[in-house]
Amino acid sequence: MPELPDLNPVIHGKLRLALLTLLTGVEEAEFTWLRGKTGATDGNLGAQLLKLEEAGYVAVEKKFVQRKPQTLYRMTESGRTALTEYVQALKQLLGAAL
Amino acid sequence: MSTDSNAMELTERLKLIEDMIAEGRHGQESWGWSFVLWGVAYSIATAWATWGRSNLAWPVTMIAAGAVTGVVASRMGHGHPETTLGRAVGAVWMAMGISLMIVLMCLAASGRYDGHVFVAIVGAMLGTANATSAIILKWKMQFACALVWIAACVTACFGSDTAVAVAFFAAIFFGQILFGIYTMVLESRRRRQRGAAHA
Repeated sequence: MPELPDLNPVIHGKLRLALLTLLTGVEEAEFTWLRGKTGATDGNLGAQLLKLEEAGYVAVEKKFVQRKPQTLYRMTESGRTALTEYVQALKQLLGAAL
Repeated sequence: MSTDSNAMELTERLKLIEDMIAEGRHGQESWGWSFVLWGVAYSIATAWATWGRSNLAWPVTMIAAGAVTGVVASRMGHGHPETTLGRAVGAVWMAMGISLMIVLMCLAASGRYDGHVFVAIVGAMLGTANATSAIILKWKMQFACALVWIAACVTACFGSDTAVAVAFFAAIFFGQILFGIYTMVLESRRRRQRGAAHA
């Protein structure tokens, strides 16, 4: 019997998984857009995005637009690879569980 | 943790991924208004050029409609991320608008402007843009609009002056104004549904 894969713990967190998946569909997203889509609080959202950033799955860009600070998040190539691998592992585990 | 609850948690994660992909694809973009705006602009320009007999009718109306579209679109897009799909569709319309403007201005400047040629070019270009958008978005209703514009283009090649005028106004009404209103209704219904889902 083949060994079942482990799920990446960085991605497995619900909010982090939601954030990474949202970022797959867009080129880059503002903090406020991600907050609106996930319904998370500023503190929790910031903490989870920081974990994704530390893992190298998202890249952050901070800039000023019309004198207002803007934080943009973009999925990195390693983030995309990690999410693809996570989905494959998830399907494999589900296949074994059902 | 039991196997059942483990499987349930994994299924929940998969569902979350599907939901977030769908959520990310749902742009906040609403473009129905722009179809109505351009439909009204074409009607005003045609009426002004026909009854007002002014050479400025088309350039002035088109530039004004372009400016209004640019201002409203830039305000609407603020804070909303750009999707690859949205950029692809936007590029088609942008390229069509630039080409159409250049061709019509050159025709007017060279004196080779003619009602039949005008409707044939506008019909072909709008037909192409609508068809490309429809294929990208897999939207049959927009493909119907493309057919309406292509029908106007074909009529302009073979039909009488009256037939061309009727075909052009029919294309403006069905392909721009009616389609724009239909799109606005769909967009507002979608926003309401999403509001209810988030509540």
